[in-house]
Amino acid sequence: MFKLDRKLQITASVAATVALFTLGGCNGSSTGTTETTQVNGQATIDGGSTYPVIDGKTSAYYVNTNVTGMKINNGRIPTANELKAWNKDIMPDGTGLPEGSGSVEDGEELYEAKCVMCHGDFGSGGGGYPALSKGNAYELQETLTNNRWKDPDADGPTRVFGSYWSHASTLFWYIKDGMPHPFSKSLSVDETYALTAYVLNINEFEIDGVEVDDEYVLDREKFLKVKMPNVDGFEPNIDGPNALSDIRAYYANAKNFGAQNLKQGAVRCMTDCQKPSAKIVRVSGSGISDFIPPMSDVRDLPVKEEVKVDPKKVYATTCAMCHDSYLSPGSAEWEGYLAKGMDKVYANGIHGTEGGMPAKGGSDLSDTNFKTVVDYITTGKVK
Amino acid sequence: MNNKKNLDRRDFFKKTAALSVTAIAGTSLVSSNARADDPAIMHHPKWGQKWGDPVTKNQYGIPSAYEHNVTRRSTKLLASGNFRASIAVTPIQESMGIVTPNGLFFSRSHGGVAHVDPNEFRLMIHGLVEKPIVLTLEQLKRYPSVTRTHFIECPANGGQEWRGPQFNSLQFAKGFMASAEWTGVYIKTILEDLGLKPEAQWMLAEGSDNSEMGRTIPVDKVLDDAMIVWGQNGEALRPEQGYPVRLLLPGWEGNLSVKWLKRLEFATEPWYCKEETSKYTNLKPNGKAVQHFYANEVNSTVTSPSPEIDWSHLKDGDIVEIEGLAWSGMGTITGVDLSFDGGKNYVETKLKGLVLPKSWTRWSYMHTYKKGDTLLLTSRAMDDAGYIQPTIDQEVSIMGVEAVYHRNGVETWEVNAKGEVNHVQIRS
Repeated sequence: MFKLDRKLQITASVAATVALFTLGGCNGSSTGTTETTQVNGQATIDGGSTYPVIDGKTSAYYVNTNVTGMKINNGRIPTANELKAWNKDIMPDGTGLPEGSGSVEDGEELYEAKCVMCHGDFGSGGGGYPALSKGNAYELQETLTNNRWKDPDADGPTRVFGSYWSHASTLFWYIKDGMPHPFSKSLSVDETYALTAYVLNINEFEIDGVEVDDEYVLDREKFLKVKMPNVDGFEPNIDGPNALSDIRAYYANAKNFGAQNLKQGAVRCMTDCQKPSAKIVRVSGSGISDFIPPMSDVRDLPVKEEVKVDPKKVYATTCAMCHDSYLSPGSAEWEGYLAKGMDKVYANGIHGTEGGMPAKGGSDLSDTNFKTVVDYITTGKVK
Repeated sequence: MNNKKNLDRRDFFKKTAALSVTAIAGTSLVSSNARADDPAIMHHPKWGQKWGDPVTKNQYGIPSAYEHNVTRRSTKLLASGNFRASIAVTPIQESMGIVTPNGLFFSRSHGGVAHVDPNEFRLMIHGLVEKPIVLTLEQLKRYPSVTRTHFIECPANGGQEWRGPQFNSLQFAKGFMASAEWTGVYIKTILEDLGLKPEAQWMLAEGSDNSEMGRTIPVDKVLDDAMIVWGQNGEALRPEQGYPVRLLLPGWEGNLSVKWLKRLEFATEPWYCKEETSKYTNLKPNGKAVQHFYANEVNSTVTSPSPEIDWSHLKDGDIVEIEGLAWSGMGTITGVDLSFDGGKNYVETKLKGLVLPKSWTRWSYMHTYKKGDTLLLTSRAMDDAGYIQPTIDQEVSIMGVEAVYHRNGVETWEVNAKGEVNHVQIRS
């Protein structure tokens, strides 16, 4: 039924869609009013309203109904190479997953060189970058029922790759396309396998009963056997030929997603709506108020920006998230780098390095201003 | 937080207004010189005594320098990825009407704001279609366009406050959203040419940015009101909104409206992109998480007063408009109720202006301010799909407090005896 309707909608004109809608409305509406929650006689997938074109209008908007059925023939068919170049997504069934291999050992080396400055030791996270592991994935999956609604001081759930994600293909795909964050799409297929192997290792995974230990070498075949501990942890079902009707049924019931629907028994209470136990919960202290820029509704003229930057301020807003844990201001770790001479250190900072340093830390400072920040990070002192 | 200067001026006008009542009663206004004259009236202002700017200045106009505090804002809590997987939020405490100026539209990215060369822009549509295509920007824009006003809301709007209020600020409590008049083409119009195969259930939308942000979208939405847009409030999209082209899924969580769009692929099975498992899923107390949570549900907030712009300058007996926004990704706002006691009792407010589907809607209630009163202002909106905002208790009883996304329980401002406004929650 769904497929037929869809085909009709694509090939038919808007006028035909209106006719279909009207039929659907007659069948589906018990109130006799315009049914706004159906498309072609089917409930909307999100449980919400939709606005078909009726008498040349959709809600308040007028519509040029002549735009359909025109067979507009814009653009061109992509070449096979073009399709190959862009169609690089990787699906849970292995579609798009390239052949290759990588070891946990190589993965760890790569991780230490390109990832640790943001994702922390053993993927522990930090500085505003997500943790990649918090320990054993199978044990941590059990924390997903932790919920702090009755005891605010209890432990919350641990949602990291190993404990939470439903498919490992997501990890491979994202590393390949999106990582390292400042230099995305720079990793080879084998490097991606190696990093994936390392992430599986720190999450203490088993593949097909075999522990992903320090000696493990991952390849395509093994990767496709990865079973995520939380693969059944999500609703509604989105797989298989019934996915869309399953989703439609899920969102047809407001209770499934914490909503209240007046057509499903919710009450619009106007008087005496609270329990006697109702109390006011206030923001604790001043709450989160470190806004950038600070909050103000004053209408005055802006203060002229200083030409010279404060290296400490730049450090705090631009550099600290990574540098606090690696080559922090004045740290002894700088010794080896400084031995190569300040010109080399400045140049690395200005142009960036493969070791994770983005050009000028991603800032748009002038070279002169940026060098004052480098001086501060390398010495811990402002000149 | 109000400007001292403004306060004094308001003070002055209040007194003048009181006098004018007397004047209507029969006394000449001219004869009432009991008050000091306002220097703002008595002196020629400096801007009126010299040349202003030539029309050749600011060929692309910018706001008055005096408006420099009306900006997007961010905070370290949300600074992920060195502010490249982060958000800067809209100052809705300063918003007017149902459209957000493009420069104030909230900005969210997963790998930084990309700057796409429109000459190198290509959109590829392939997979389960009879005819795959590549379009240049010019070819895309040749499709018949539609223009629609819709909000885009990050489903994490209010998501930091499941376990209690954290932001004493409207901008941060509800500003993970903005609204614009978008111009583009319905994807169903393009698919008429391409021919969608009947087995297609899903569409992948992928960006060309550093993170290649992708999301899986059911074809139901694609064939209903999904758009590919290039226009925002009468001009090209801003880079922060995906210049030159983004997806727009009216009413659905903002993350799905993929920016810097490069590719649409149709398939039978979903993709499991990074942002549809690792994030944008709502963990419930039973350990199951809601995935593919599409629509932003009915919601509302009081925008005036707000913690930022409060009532501390009001005098006893002042008549003031309580104003707010209501919105629903599931339909059209049908009404907004307002409570003065934190949700114990409600009155109906008036909707005003255009009331459009999946759009911000303004509501209004006239109030006589009594100095020294303590109020708990709570708004509660309803939509034409039947949804009504839950109380916080109702929402938490089903979703727990670990859900992060899609929190639409009613919000409350506490107006204290001084007229200051604080963000609170009412819990039983």
